[in-house]
Amino acid sequence: MYRSLCVFVPLCLCVYGLVVAAQQSPAAQRPPQTVTPQSYRPELVLTGQTRFASECGFCHGRDAAGGETGPDLTRSTLVAEDSRGDKIRQVVRTGRVDKGMPSFDMEDADLEAIVAFIHDQKTKAESLGGGRRSVDVSDLESGNVDAGRRYFNGAGGCSNCHSASGDLADIGSRFRGLPLLERMLYPRSIRPETAPPKVTVTTSSGETITGSLVSRDEFTITVEDSARSMRTWAALDVKFTIHDGMNAHFEQLGKYTDEDMHNVYAYLQTLRQ
Amino acid sequence: MRLIIGATILAALGTIAIAQGVDPAMLLRPPVDSWPTYHGDYSGKRHSRLTQITPSNVNRLAEAWIFQTGQNPQIKATPILTDGILYITTPDNLWAVDARTGRQLWHYTSPMNDAFHIGHRGAAVYKDFVYLTTPDAHLIALDAKEGTVRWNVVVADSKKGYWSTNAPLVIRNHVIVGVSGDFDNLPGQLKSIDAETGKTQWTFYSTPPVGVPEPQSGGATGGQMWMTGTYDPELNLIYVGTGNPTPVLNGSVRTGDNPWTCSIVALQADTGKLVWGFQASPHDTHDWDAAEVPVLVDGMFNGAQRKMLMQASRNGYFFVLDRTNGKNLLTAPFAAVNWAKGIDKEGRPIPDPDKEPARDGRLVAPGESGATNYRSPSFDAATGFFIVSAQDSYGIYFFKPEHGAYGWAGADYGIAGRSFLRALDYQTGKIKWSHELGEGQSTAGVLTTDSGIAFTGDVSGNAIAVQTSDGATLWHAAIGRMGNSPITYQLDGRQFVLFGGGSSLYAFALP
Repeated sequence: MYRSLCVFVPLCLCVYGLVVAAQQSPAAQRPPQTVTPQSYRPELVLTGQTRFASECGFCHGRDAAGGETGPDLTRSTLVAEDSRGDKIRQVVRTGRVDKGMPSFDMEDADLEAIVAFIHDQKTKAESLGGGRRSVDVSDLESGNVDAGRRYFNGAGGCSNCHSASGDLADIGSRFRGLPLLERMLYPRSIRPETAPPKVTVTTSSGETITGSLVSRDEFTITVEDSARSMRTWAALDVKFTIHDGMNAHFEQLGKYTDEDMHNVYAYLQTLRQ
Repeated sequence: MRLIIGATILAALGTIAIAQGVDPAMLLRPPVDSWPTYHGDYSGKRHSRLTQITPSNVNRLAEAWIFQTGQNPQIKATPILTDGILYITTPDNLWAVDARTGRQLWHYTSPMNDAFHIGHRGAAVYKDFVYLTTPDAHLIALDAKEGTVRWNVVVADSKKGYWSTNAPLVIRNHVIVGVSGDFDNLPGQLKSIDAETGKTQWTFYSTPPVGVPEPQSGGATGGQMWMTGTYDPELNLIYVGTGNPTPVLNGSVRTGDNPWTCSIVALQADTGKLVWGFQASPHDTHDWDAAEVPVLVDGMFNGAQRKMLMQASRNGYFFVLDRTNGKNLLTAPFAAVNWAKGIDKEGRPIPDPDKEPARDGRLVAPGESGATNYRSPSFDAATGFFIVSAQDSYGIYFFKPEHGAYGWAGADYGIAGRSFLRALDYQTGKIKWSHELGEGQSTAGVLTTDSGIAFTGDVSGNAIAVQTSDGATLWHAAIGRMGNSPITYQLDGRQFVLFGGGSSLYAFALP
């Protein structure tokens, strides 16, 4: 099927959830537990089911357990930490447009019903354990740590930019399971957001500005300078250099064998403090 | 029968004359003041013979008008134009808009329903009927003058999991309608519905209907035909791309190639009988529908005049077929691919079993959103370029028995993508130029014109015009993210180009 709403990265309601879940024992494999127990009238849940299917179901699944592109909301920490919509509402209203989730201009009553349905589905999922479209930490144990270390320091070229005792010293503590794999392959693909690329801009008058990239397309470039001011230029009017570590990651995606990928993942898993 | 919510006439029709509308002869050669079908004509080239806007004056394009739906959903539809009236859709909604001014004439809203409201590709017109498919897989015929309902029929059972986003294809008195539905294990079906009465004339199943044993499919369901096909009047054949098999990521329970999923099928227009089929992705396990536009081109190939069919498929391969018999003439990748071991003697990529979804994940190019998708390509005869909005992309695919054998049956995650407008030489498959569109996936289709311009959109929300011959940028306008494919028409001697940006429709013309 098509993927109409989405850009290229998974929708991210669940990412926080997986980070937290990963800190549990791999054997547990349970979704994050609801922080504030809450219950809803069955009629409201039923209404929510209908509205959810219509507006959210394609991406998140009719059962909220993951659909064509969107994550399993029953394993989302944002949902686990939500109390009667206090967190979900904002995500729905504002969207995560950069990650492919549009904003929804929805009636309060519909949103309330959708929140009820999501929590009801989460309660059911907690009683079942696991997830229909889950990827568990234990699923990702096929790699070889030593081979991963060699690839990291050798053929993969990872050590050209990264250090196992420096920036990645605790990567295996900060991420585990699928989020670690995604972070490894393309850090920008999941939250939390990576630092924006550094940019050097030289204007036609010879002024040099360094800062962080805010946005860039074929026609304009916007930078936050060292004084934290936003500055925008027509791309043709200035010279600029963008130092984006994602370029090397993107090139690497075309080079990895699946074995390399699993080996490097296994190695990164061992980097903990 | 469903309750009918009547259309509202929000503005008088004024001096806009409504002629006899679209007839079968007009559809064979649409005049330049119309865009009467999803692709503009039956060929799917999305190419216009208009030349008022040229590479040398396109930089003076200015907004002629903007039509705002006033609603949240992004416009993913191609506007249909006939008799000076544009028809534009989103799920459950159809607006009739004055093509000269952008003024709303009427607005029809179909009854609320709980099927997927994920997108809508557009309306169709015939005589004084306008047709709209609905999320709950109905086909509604409206009166083109007033937007009132003439009839409303069920195409497929939405309670089973079917829905529709389809822009129907009208051929004589056949309204060809497709549906979607791969969250459930459902047979793929395409229907021909009588344009005047709403009666079903025929149904083509791409996978066997329930209760019909047909060993060839290997137990697969799916193969939904959710995109608008093309048509060769001489051969009287309809060409349609079919979607992925179900269960989607679990291929173990559906052995073999799973025809006719991920295929291009040629159907006899009056009966729906299969004449030939070509599988773009045998035994797909990555959700790579071959639903993309089958573009019909007559021209030379290897020194011989051919009736060809070209498709840039979601799986990353560009195919050229002889459309009289489905024989392959060319197969070549047009974006990053790593899933095939080679090309078989029939011209089909050979899937690498090691790239099927697995418990520990497989890194696959393209990712699930594909090397391209529903956005239309365009064919420019002057250069021989097939121009497609392409994406180099990667995803990771998982399957374990616990995921089961129903619906999605697995998990996959997009990792990264970079988009490019690419010009392919159809005789070699070589990429002649590649114009960067940004990080992520562009969802804009392509329109070319006889003056040598290709219009599309980039990832950042710019409508852009490039030179067809070399991809050099000629013009741009920041209108918001495009979810549809541009069209062009000429009215009162003035050429318009239309783009959907966000939930608005933007018309540009020379001042």
